[in-house]
Amino acid sequence: MNRLTSLLAQVMLTGTLIAAAIIAAGLVWYLSAHLGQSPGDHIFRGEPRFLESPVAMVRHIFALNEVGHRRSLVMFGIFLLLLNPLLRVGLAGLGYLLEKDRLFAGISAIVFAVLLVSFFW
Amino acid sequence: MTEPFFDLAVAAASFFAGLLGALIGLGGGIIVTPLLVLGFGIDIRYAMGAALCSVIATSSGAAAAYLRDGISNMQIGMFLCIATTIGAVCGALLAVVLDQSVLAIIFGVALLVTVILSLRKKSEALVTVEDSDPLAARLRLPGEFPGPSGPVRYGVVGLVPGFAVMWVAGVLSGLLGIGSGAFKVLAMDQIMRLPFKVTTATSNFMIGVTAAASVGIYLKKGYLDPALVAPVALGVLAGAFAGAKLLTVAPVKLLRVIFLVAVSIIAVQMIAQGLGISLS
Repeated sequence: MNRLTSLLAQVMLTGTLIAAAIIAAGLVWYLSAHLGQSPGDHIFRGEPRFLESPVAMVRHIFALNEVGHRRSLVMFGIFLLLLNPLLRVGLAGLGYLLEKDRLFAGISAIVFAVLLVSFFW
Repeated sequence: MTEPFFDLAVAAASFFAGLLGALIGLGGGIIVTPLLVLGFGIDIRYAMGAALCSVIATSSGAAAAYLRDGISNMQIGMFLCIATTIGAVCGALLAVVLDQSVLAIIFGVALLVTVILSLRKKSEALVTVEDSDPLAARLRLPGEFPGPSGPVRYGVVGLVPGFAVMWVAGVLSGLLGIGSGAFKVLAMDQIMRLPFKVTTATSNFMIGVTAAASVGIYLKKGYLDPALVAPVALGVLAGAFAGAKLLTVAPVKLLRVIFLVAVSIIAVQMIAQGLGISLS
């Protein structure tokens, strides 16, 4: 278990830092195109559909002539950040499976399933 | 305020919230949302979405450190995550149908309860492994953590009521976009009688997983505005990191008293704002 927990800790820390770096870069890129504008967070409007799925996000990052590709890069970083706990549970479950700990592999699988359903239904 | 000054101000406020959260042990998510709503006039749904992302960021960083030190009990954390993740999905589904003024009121009340919970004395007496709940023993939940003179072994009691309170903690997390660490600690510390160090570490592991269960629903409902989430998440993350470093040198006791009073005032203002909107 020790090797697994240190691998887990490594993944969690590196994952967070990579995501934070992408978010920071994306934010600077986004803001550089929106200087002098007022932010619109005072009234709730929801968000465009292309920010709802990871595939659409990635496609949008490279769609340079479309509106919102800079926001998509920020969102992609945020998505990586949100993936971290999912990865955490998945890796832990895998570790239990390798240790033939069926009880906790099962418990991890339940948590993983709840997360998957909430993310991708 | 125009860009980039708005985002810079939001990032600064979020840094402050993360710093405070780490110093007084409340968590950044529950402080940053009222700051965004009351201080910047941001819609509470966007504020909750941004706060929930910041919770996931800080939890991942903090949990990594605890995991490496071998203090957190992964078995207990994973088992209780069944309750918190299901609760979080319920809470998020509830949040999307509730009026934002109702959310503000519930938020204010939860913030007050969090302050009260953080004032309570920590239980010191450990439960021995032999006195553990039979169910907890069957699940192999009793564990050990590295103490000053070798590993300290501890037992677990109150698994069923603890599980129930964890579900409530999950609901609150999804409903309000907070980590609800105070409620998780309550379940593990008071009900399951785990050592305080283990409680804190394990709750950090769980907070991110719990938050992840409702953030997908927030994403689909359009609560995550990237231009707001980015400065908030980065600010809180940096603030929490700085706070953890400062913890050893800062006059924590004095800070706690000052800021707990401040946070209580903010909580009352949240409730007042919620009532004001519903009255007009």
